Formats: sequence, structure tokens, C-alpha cells
Amino acid sequence: MKEVEIHFTLNGKEYNLTVPANLTLLQIIRARIGLTGTKRGCGKGECGACTVIFNGRSVSSCLVLAPKVDGSEVLTVEGIGTFDHPHPIQEAFVEEGAVQCGFCTPGFVVSSYYLLSKNPHPSEEEIREGLSGNLCRCTGYIKIINAVKKASEKLNG
Amino acid sequence: MEEAKYKYIGRSVPRIDALEKATGKIKYMSDLSLPNMLFGKILRAKYPHAKILRIDTSKAEALPGVVTVITHKDVPGLNGFGIVVPDMPVLCKDKVRYIGDAVAAVAAETETIAEKALSLIEVDYEPLPIVDDPEEAMKEDAPKIHEEGNIHLHTEIKRGDVEKAFKEADLIIEETFFTGRQDHTPLETEGGVAFVDEEGNLNVYVGSQYPQRDQLQLARCLNWNPKKIRVVSYPVGGAFGRKDELSIQPILALLAIKAKRAVKITLSREESMIAYWKRHPFKMHYKVAFKNDGTLLGVDAYLVEDKGAYSSLGGPVLNLAVEHACGPYRVDNVHVDGYAVFTNNGIAGAFRGFGAPQTAFAIETIMDIASRKLNIDPIDLRKKSALRKGDKTSIGNVLSTSVGTELVLDGIRESNIWKNREELRKISTKPWLKRGVGVALTYQGTGLGVGIPDYGGAILSMNEDGSFSVRVGTVDYGQGIGTSYAQIVAEAMNIPIEKVKVVLGDSFLTADSGPTSASRGVYTGGKAALIASEKMKKTLKEKVSKLFKTDEDNVEFGFGYVYDKVSGNKVTYEELAKNFKEEGKLPEEEGYFLVPTAEIKIENAFGLPHHIFAFSAHTAYVEVNTLTGEVSVLEGAEAVDGGIVVNRQGFEAQVEGGFVMGMGYGLTEHLAIENGIVKNPNFSTYIIPSIKDVPKRIETIPVINPEDTGPYKAKGIAETVMVATAPAITNAIYDATGARIFSIPATPSVVYFAIKEAESEENFD
Repeated sequence: MKEVEIHFTLNGKEYNLTVPANLTLLQIIRARIGLTGTKRGCGKGECGACTVIFNGRSVSSCLVLAPKVDGSEVLTVEGIGTFDHPHPIQEAFVEEGAVQCGFCTPGFVVSSYYLLSKNPHPSEEEIREGLSGNLCRCTGYIKIINAVKKASEKLNG
Repeated sequence: MEEAKYKYIGRSVPRIDALEKATGKIKYMSDLSLPNMLFGKILRAKYPHAKILRIDTSKAEALPGVVTVITHKDVPGLNGFGIVVPDMPVLCKDKVRYIGDAVAAVAAETETIAEKALSLIEVDYEPLPIVDDPEEAMKEDAPKIHEEGNIHLHTEIKRGDVEKAFKEADLIIEETFFTGRQDHTPLETEGGVAFVDEEGNLNVYVGSQYPQRDQLQLARCLNWNPKKIRVVSYPVGGAFGRKDELSIQPILALLAIKAKRAVKITLSREESMIAYWKRHPFKMHYKVAFKNDGTLLGVDAYLVEDKGAYSSLGGPVLNLAVEHACGPYRVDNVHVDGYAVFTNNGIAGAFRGFGAPQTAFAIETIMDIASRKLNIDPIDLRKKSALRKGDKTSIGNVLSTSVGTELVLDGIRESNIWKNREELRKISTKPWLKRGVGVALTYQGTGLGVGIPDYGGAILSMNEDGSFSVRVGTVDYGQGIGTSYAQIVAEAMNIPIEKVKVVLGDSFLTADSGPTSASRGVYTGGKAALIASEKMKKTLKEKVSKLFKTDEDNVEFGFGYVYDKVSGNKVTYEELAKNFKEEGKLPEEEGYFLVPTAEIKIENAFGLPHHIFAFSAHTAYVEVNTLTGEVSVLEGAEAVDGGIVVNRQGFEAQVEGGFVMGMGYGLTEHLAIENGIVKNPNFSTYIIPSIKDVPKRIETIPVINPEDTGPYKAKGIAETVMVATAPAITNAIYDATGARIFSIPATPSVVYFAIKEAESEENFD
């Protein structure tokens, strides 16, 4: 496979990598950079576990190929908040009990971050629409919706 | 309220690992990377049923970058695994029995090379006839999947005189039911790493539900001392029963041993769905007798379980289905005849509910039919025969532990849906959208049943900083048991919950606490943690009485400290830890707990009866599009008896998640296998509920029903919360449209044709 040189920013840090052109952004984040908060649940853009913010839009990172990453700006769950300095969305997920096995949670956090950045006061319908690309098998989603509502309050008073 | 006296028990305590998960900090087994690690890939069968004539790996071995190729020849121990019968080959030798069977495996420098190497492995097959209908498979002349024949297990229970019951009946309902092949689809597929460390220990890091059993099964396959196999199985990105049995572990271990390097395998969603465990599809024929007053006179049920190709837990699943076939009802004339039958339809094993969701769909549909034919309110009809403490169950054991059947029925009666059902079902936004309400009742054994070792174990140790670590072998794969253990230890020791560190799922570090299955995690591990805490308190009392030269009876526990109530002297845990350390050793205590079992055994039905049960009543409010057959669940409610609730937030989360998983089971989920080939192995074609499908509200109604044998009087709820959702929904579909559903999932086509049939019957009448 042909290799490509890519320069991009991830969570505010610049990276220069040479990678096979068929590597996905998900593989770059997990295997090359070593950040594993972004998960692979399907590898086909069906489950949302690998959601990241890519050039200001939420995308399934498993569907973005390496050449596209060149020149881009990427934000992952680790860039939104950390264990020591969590983002209010992450705090809301914890407080509302929206985390169970937790494997889908980073994807939901990123989708919620994107939703609230575009629409600070989403209605319940808008929350459902905004998170409709993310699958969860544990929670039944009710507490996730509550967490996004709470995060919206935390962020916007 | 019983729990008002507690600091932690009964409260809503956020999960102790939630922030690590929400920030992406926690490492799942499929997140692990080791230096110089290889990547493993598995070659699956080309046919669902075939003889293997020849396997040639030479071309794959010659490919640059390939480090190891393994086949059945490389399995040093038993080439088989399985919790009950180890009949599933690690790597097939002379026969494949389903399309996911493993034939060979490769470890290579990159995933791409490993993938390429698989394509270079030559396997010659002689295809055999495909056995895909369990009832055909039961016939004498059917092609045999296993040499011993296709009937894996036959369990038959007879009580009373069922023929007499039919003679005396005012109403007989006779129907046939089908249930689907549900895939657990945990968001994390099977994955992890294995390596042999410098001390010669084999390390297997793969998420699972019982590290100590994985350790023993691996030892048997590998001919390896189990004490030198460390299995780490927490955290897990979802399991729901799927990860109770082994999957990739033996292959991963063999590759790592042979390559003498760390190896990682992560399955794609497709490979996971094709190759591993499912819920068994059932065909069920029921004949049920009622009196006009609603008395349940007799049940004759014939159950056929599609076992798939290998045993795993299919036998116990059948037996639990037999035990739960009549629902939580008093009925004295019973004949339940169950068969677990091998087919080439993939493999099936443990799945939340374990045989109960299948039979609950059948019996609860029949209860709904009966309530309409007898013109008795569906809750009243169920109450009429509801099991009470001291009653005999349908299979003949006396219920001597807590029984919540009536409590959950009373609870569901008070739900928003049920109270307002007359108004709710009348709401119509379009002439073709019909609304209805349905109810269903169920129960589920907590624990493994008679004759199966069933115990909890916990090690509690004091740390240097005065905090405590509790180490339990069970695994938190989303249910919240880790947080419950922290609550139990914090409550018992009277310390802030932040001072309790929980270690789970590690065969070297944690006490064997049995499998994380059968709704038993909180009950067994929690009780063991409580016992260890009581021992720890005794040790601390002795210490403090010496320290303050006072009688042990004068030593009491404050919140985070210990004191002498006579002198008022007190010592913090931190100071105590220092004191212990100076004298040599920090205290460590172990707690073990044997789960009580029933006093009788049911003959020819291993594991039956269960002794402790959780109960739940479910209701659903649905809207059916009569033009398309599409069903929306608008609201749900569950009243649940899980004993005293340990974590209110976790309880709600289980109920909501269980209800939604039950929705998927009832409406959309079925892994279609045609001629042995999986037709829908991805999330685009196998549809689990999304956030847009779930109801606006799922009401959680805990009923207070202490179970004296449990930790803080708790029992387990993880399974019952999903079991009766599907029949509550299909009964609601009937309420809305008059269309009776006998086959789940009730996909739009199933519902559409049921509506058409109901309409034609109406016209005929």
C-alpha cells in the first residue's frame, strides 16, 4: 500500500506521520498516536463508538482515510476533557448514570459535545436526532438523554 | 423505608468507574498494546457442515511477516472447550459444524499480513448436508452433526394429571410460538492480548464473565498449570451472557505461546456476529387449561431449542426454560417436554434471561388470550394464580424465599400507563395509527441452581493509607456490581465510599466468586464482601481494644474512625494502618458465602430447581401503523422485586436497559441464518434499538421485598428486567389492532400479516 505523509492537529497538538493511504483516522488515533478513548464498535460507520470532531464536524473516524486527514484538525474524547479536568458533559454523564459498560460512552460524549456546540439548548427531539448515530446496548438511552439535558444546563446556566 | 437507615445502601451512587470511562481513560482489553506485539487472525470454515480432508499452511508460513500459523496439531491439551460439555474444537481437525468454526490461525507482524496469510491457507472440504431445522434434526435418519446424535438434551417434567385438567377445563388455549436468534451485540467485540511473561506465566487479557473458569478451560486446552495462567477480564465493553463462555482465548493463547511474543486479536463486528454466541431460538407448542374463574388448571408445553453446533450452556438454558415454562403461576397439572437439538445454525449459549424470555413470550401471550376470552382483567387473571411464598412452583419446589409476584402486579397497576390506559389507547393522531397497552409478568432464578457449585468470594485488605481494597472475581460489564460492592463495604465498614477500591475479574488477584451470570453478581459477591467486612471489623476491634487497653465490646465504629466509647479515644483508619504496618502486616480478610439452594432436586433436570427468584411485571404502550406493520413503543414501565435495592441509579439503569433490550428482542432482532450462512452480520441489517426508537419514558417501580439471605437483603435483577418486555409489547399490539403475534421479532411484515389475518377473520365472522 502506498504511504502518505500527513500533517494534522489532534487535541491541539501537531502531528507529522507517514502512514499507509488506506489507514483510517480511527487506526491513526488508536494505533499510531496511542489514544484509545476512541473505540471501534463496527468499523463501518454504523455504531458511532469512534465519533470524533473532524474539521469542526462530528464524523465516524473509521470512515475517514489517511489522505483526508492531512491538514485537518481533530478533537477526540481526550481533548474534550480528562479524568483530572473533566468537561461538564463528562460530569453530567457520570452524575446521571449514563455510563454502564462505557464502551459507547466516548462516542456519545463527542456527539453530545458537537450537538451542544451547535445547539446549546436542544429539545429532547433534537437530542435524539443529534445522538442518533450512536448505539448503546446497556442503558436504554434514557439516562444519556438526561445527561445531555443536564450538560446543557451546566454549560449555559 | 428499610434503607433510610443506611448511608450508601439504597442511594443513587454514581458508578465508581464512570469518569474513567467517560473520559476515555480506562483501557479495555481491546485497547491494550504491547511492545513488539503481533496480530492474530482466525481462518473460519468455508462451509456450515463439512468434512475437512486436508489443511496445508505451508504457503501462509512462507509469507514474509508471518511468525506463526497454528492448526489442530498445535493444540497440546484437549482440543475442545465448553462450560458443560467441552465439545467445541479450539481448531477443527476433521469436521466443521458451523460457518464460524475455527480451522487455523495466524500471528503476523501486521493485521494486513495476517489477513493475507489466511487467504494462503489451503483447506479441502467435503461438504455435508446442512441440518438447519431442529425438528428435522431430531429424526432418526437426519444427518448427524455430532456422533452421539443431534439431541443434546431431553428434559421432561410431569406433575399432576394434565389430561384430567384438559377434561375439566372451561377454556383450552393451544398455540405454537417462535422466538428469534438474538445477538448480544456488546459494543466491544471479542478482543484482547496474550503473552508469556518472564516468570513463565501465560497472561490472557480478554474481557469475560468468569476469569477463574477461563483459566481452567485454558489449562485444559493448553496442558498448562492453571496456576500459571493469569486471566484478566475487567473492564468489559458489554457481555450480557455472551462472554460467559470462551471465544478467542484458546487461539490467542496458543499463538502467543508458539510465537513467544505478545499477540493481539480483535474481531470485526461481522466476524463476531458470525462466529460467536447467540440466544437460542425456540419453537414452543403450548396447550393450557383454564377454569371460567381464571384458575390455571394445567399446562402442556413442548419446547424445541435450536442449539446450534456446540453445547456450551444450551443444556442449562433448556432446563431453565422448562422450569420457567409455566411462568410464576400456581399450576398443579404440568407436562413440559423440552429438547435441545444440534443444528448447523451458528452457535448459541448464555444470554440474559437464559431460556426465560422464550417461554415468557409463550405463556404471557396465552395469559393475555385467556384474559380476553374469560373477560377477566389481565392483572386480576395473573393475580389469581400468582405464586406466593409457601406455594409449589410448576415443577414442584416450595418457594421458601421472598416472593414478589403480587407486589409487582400491584406495582404495575399503579404505573402511569396502566392507570391511564383507557385514555391512552383512545388517542389517535391518524386513522391508521392504533394505540394499545399490554402487560406481562415474569420471574427469574438468582444463582445457578441445585447441584452446581454456587458461591461468592471476596478478599478485603487494608491499604497503607487507611483505605480498603475489595477483590472479587466477578466482573462488571456494565451492570454496576463494582459500585455495589463499594457501597456494601463502605456501609459495613462505615467509611466514605471513596476509601474503597474495587478490584474485579483477575484470576491472580481476586477471590473466585463464581460466574458473573444468573443475576447473581450483587447477591454472591456482595454477600462475600459483607462477610469479609464483618471479619475485618472484628480484627480492627481486637487491635483497637489493645491499643486503648479497653474491652472489645467498648470499641465502636465512627464514620472513618474507630473509638473507645468509654474513654472517647479515637483512631482514624489511616493511623490504624500505620500501626498495623509498624507491627508487620496490614490486615486482610476473606469472605466466602455458599448460596442456599432448594431442599429438593428435580429428577433428570440438572440444576433445577432454583431457590431465589426476582420478579417483574412489565407494561408497554405502543402505536401500530396498520398500513405498514411498524410498531413504536411510546412508553414502558416495570415493577421489579429485586429485594432491597442497593443502588437506586444502577437499578433504574438496569430496568431501562433491560426494557430496551427486550424491545429489540420483541420487535427487530433476529440473526437470519439460511443454509447455514449468516445473512445480516452488521448493524445496518441486524437492527438493535437506537436512541430514536426508545420510549420517552420508562417508569421504574421498585417494590420493597427484603430477601433475608442477600447482602443488605438484596437479590439480583439483571435478567428479569428484560424478560417480559417482548410479550408486554406483543400483547399491546393485540390491544391496539386485534392482531395476535405468535412469532418474535414482530417485524413490520409479521405485524402487517397478523393484522391482515385478524381482519380476514373479522370479515369471516
